[in-house]
Amino acid sequence: MTSPSRGNTVIYTGLLVAAVLTVAPFALSLLTSVTSAQQFATGTPLSLPSPPTLSNYTALGDAGFGRALVVTALMTAIITLGQLTFSVLAAYAFARLEFPGRDGLFWVYVATLMVPGTVTVVPLYLMMAEMGLRNTFWALVLPFLFGSPYAIFLLREYFRAIPADLLNAAKLDGANTLDVIVHVVLPASKPILATLTLITVVSQWNSFMWPLVITSGGRWRVLTVATAGLQSQYNAQWTLVMAATTVAIVPLVVLFAMFQRHIVRSIVVTGLK
Amino acid sequence: MTQVNSRRIRSTLLGYGLLAPSLFGVVCFLLLPMLVVVWLSLHRWDLLGPIHYVGLANWRSVLTDPSFGNSLLVTCAFIAIVVPTQIVLGLAAAAMLARELPGTGVFRALYVIPWICSPLAVAVLWRWILAPTDGAVSTLLGRRIEWLTDPGLALPVVSAVTVWTNVGYVALFFLAGILAIPPQIHAAARIDGADSWQRFWRITMPMLRPTFFFVSVTGVVSAAQVFDTVYALTGGGPAGRTDLVAHSIYAEAFGAAAIGRAAVMALVLFVILVGVTIVQHLYFRRRISYDLT
Amino acid sequence: MITRPRSSMLVLTALLTVTAVLAGVVVWLGRTEDPAGKTIVTVRLWDEQVAAAYRESFDVFSRTHPDIEIRTNLVSYATYFDTLRTDVAGGGADDIFWINNSHFAEYADNGRLMAVTPSPEWDSSVIGQFTRAGVLWGVPQLTDAGIALYYNADLLATAGINPATLGEARWDSNPSIDTLRPLLARLTVDSNGKTAAESGFDARRIRQWGYNAANDLQGINLNYIGSAGGVFADGDRFAFDNPQTVVAFHYVVDLINRDNVAPPASDTNDNGDFSRNQFLSGRMAVLQSGTYNLAQIAEQARFNWGIAMLPTGPAGRVSVTNGIVAAGNPATRHPEAARAVLDWLGSTAGNAFLGRRGAAIPAVLPAQRAYFDYWSAKKIDVTPFFAVLDGPRIEAPGGAGFGAGYQAIKPYFDEMFLGRRPVAQTLAAAQQAANTAAQR
Repeated sequence: MTSPSRGNTVIYTGLLVAAVLTVAPFALSLLTSVTSAQQFATGTPLSLPSPPTLSNYTALGDAGFGRALVVTALMTAIITLGQLTFSVLAAYAFARLEFPGRDGLFWVYVATLMVPGTVTVVPLYLMMAEMGLRNTFWALVLPFLFGSPYAIFLLREYFRAIPADLLNAAKLDGANTLDVIVHVVLPASKPILATLTLITVVSQWNSFMWPLVITSGGRWRVLTVATAGLQSQYNAQWTLVMAATTVAIVPLVVLFAMFQRHIVRSIVVTGLK
Repeated sequence: MTQVNSRRIRSTLLGYGLLAPSLFGVVCFLLLPMLVVVWLSLHRWDLLGPIHYVGLANWRSVLTDPSFGNSLLVTCAFIAIVVPTQIVLGLAAAAMLARELPGTGVFRALYVIPWICSPLAVAVLWRWILAPTDGAVSTLLGRRIEWLTDPGLALPVVSAVTVWTNVGYVALFFLAGILAIPPQIHAAARIDGADSWQRFWRITMPMLRPTFFFVSVTGVVSAAQVFDTVYALTGGGPAGRTDLVAHSIYAEAFGAAAIGRAAVMALVLFVILVGVTIVQHLYFRRRISYDLT
Repeated sequence: MITRPRSSMLVLTALLTVTAVLAGVVVWLGRTEDPAGKTIVTVRLWDEQVAAAYRESFDVFSRTHPDIEIRTNLVSYATYFDTLRTDVAGGGADDIFWINNSHFAEYADNGRLMAVTPSPEWDSSVIGQFTRAGVLWGVPQLTDAGIALYYNADLLATAGINPATLGEARWDSNPSIDTLRPLLARLTVDSNGKTAAESGFDARRIRQWGYNAANDLQGINLNYIGSAGGVFADGDRFAFDNPQTVVAFHYVVDLINRDNVAPPASDTNDNGDFSRNQFLSGRMAVLQSGTYNLAQIAEQARFNWGIAMLPTGPAGRVSVTNGIVAAGNPATRHPEAARAVLDWLGSTAGNAFLGRRGAAIPAVLPAQRAYFDYWSAKKIDVTPFFAVLDGPRIEAPGGAGFGAGYQAIKPYFDEMFLGRRPVAQTLAAAQQAANTAAQR
């Protein structure tokens, strides 16, 4: 039997190497973002900033990143709220109610999972333009607000697994549907809800193509679009560009760090059952 | 009788009531656009002028266009590189994490960070790291390598960035699968004299089939839609070497202003994805003894 | 099981409250900050220096038009025209926007620009560039004059080159006539101090570039094509597949890849500012460019510099010249206000601001003096930019479908400038691709 500690060393080495590969780019980006532009231009790109400066970040503020942050946060919050609420309702209906056309409709929902986002961009742009909603906050939010087939799909599985006794007992106690959902279904589904919240928040915060197409100018610019715009405007002014990527990345990482144990565990738990 | 009926009516109303918002969303923002895309594919529009009907001209033009063929090929190559690589690396990482050595939690969380970040920001970040002039890698190596403009390197680099982003996330799913294997099975195998390699291949791997299925289906679907990375890293690459389909659809619609052709491309992508998913479903279906859905 | 049924109503109320709060924040963010009673007119452009000049100009305008407030919207050139198209198509474009010769045709053809009455005070070549179907489609704002050579006088002195020689340089595929190449070779230095003209020159360790040969349509390509006697476009069609143009591109591509006097295309293909930044850092001896970089160079160069005339080619010294107009958006919500602003932009007083700080050459003729006065006060001789226009000129390409065609060209030209594809073949293929794309 090979000594467990040797096997462990191998594993730790592997884990460590992977960790360095994962974190190094971010660390480099952070370092560069606090380097002054002059130092970067005259010194070697990898030299430590001396002294570190926040000038790149203030420049970002001038470039409208503060507002982009707010817009992105708002958009993410509203979409997450809407999507989760309506998905829960729909998933409950599919999982626990009986009505004609239920299963057929569910498969229609699942079929739409196959529609790639790229395919719907142009017609959605057309629709929004026709309705005069181009470059408005609502255009950013509407296509995603009303529930997500992916979430409905996952939730339905989860809801189906909730023991019927729990639900029946609640109904016998005089609970109506809303009560059942709030007091029985939701508490029993915490892991999946946490997972879905994370997935929704991440995917909306990072959304790029749709905001790129449907907004323009500074008013409703989101972080991703602002970063891309900065990159093209200040091409090769790397200190500034790295500050932008840091601003785009840090909020989510912080959020993640705060909830990571819970979240990671829930992905692991719900992963595949 | 009437009691049952009224209950059924109430149930139906309730059901559809609960479904109403999501139904609205699905119809308006998913189904309707699909129909519009089909309609658009038969018309010609440059965004500024009027829309006119051209029948199948766009279809003919796109299906015989070598650059679209190139785009599809590049996307296939990309998927063929990215999906297996991230599965293998994800599995390896998961296997290491599954040992649950002290400190594993930290590593596990770290690996997911690239996935959390926006692909756009990640691509911009890597653009600097790989920049031949003033980039991190160039400075470290002391020599200039044209990572993003060398035709032989561009696609592997874009694939590597995508894999780097996804491995942690994929690893989590494998970790879930590995941890879900009842320990008794491993214990019994150990008693029977199986060593860890044998246990891995004969027990773990087969029981991970549902995970493989999930990860490869979602991997393919998401790899086929990579856009942000291409937009920021190469803009389609040296001579179209990284012109992934999602990017070429965008470029056709909003760069070349040929909306009808872009619609055709989008439909072709859709059909291919549906086909690939069905094939994967059929392939795995016979091999999974678990009810995944 | 359910202890307090009504608490689910609480949850519902909480949800609705949160939604209401968020919606409120959105509405607050979206308020259009209309200072009471004022009409807001937005002007979209890509040049930072001119935007600053505009702000001064608009301050003066607001004094005579207190009910109109003008806001400038700066969009980076790299994405300017893509976003302009989607904005115009979506009905949300700015009230006034800059447009250049290459891109205005399709907007004009589709009724997306306001017709303008030409004024005799405006530069006639700009009027000519922007007249289509007998109508003028924008108010001329600036003209770029011709292309010339900025040089770093200190680096030239170190190399022992007299700036006058630079101004008389000739380029030609025949080495016995070609004086430009050897000159540039003496100005390209590797990290060991050896110039490209000496043996032992290490092309992989260049610390100083001689020149900015690159895929730069306005700064390099068109001028070489013209000076070789070739054409780039013929009306709405791309027509650069002709022998003289092949000669021109051959020369430029060789400067980059064979003679190594210019940075590799992998640096310049996707970064239009690369060469200028190298020049400003003192790492490039000669920068062939236009007046659009003059203000920035004057402001930021930390070395002695001068301007010399464009090199002469086999067919003479031919430069491109470009104008920019401010076009009115017919879909604007404030047509009268927009017209008032356009009138101001086209007036001597309004346009003069561009010249006052040397940001750009005003297209309104009486306003041009400010520009010349500014630069002569700074002891900078700008005549090379203008003298070159006394000779033949090459037209900046444009026409309907130009945007799509030019996008189709990019991959081909990128490869050609990287030295990976032969010039003649690539031009032929690119021209075909461009015309096909333009016609869609």
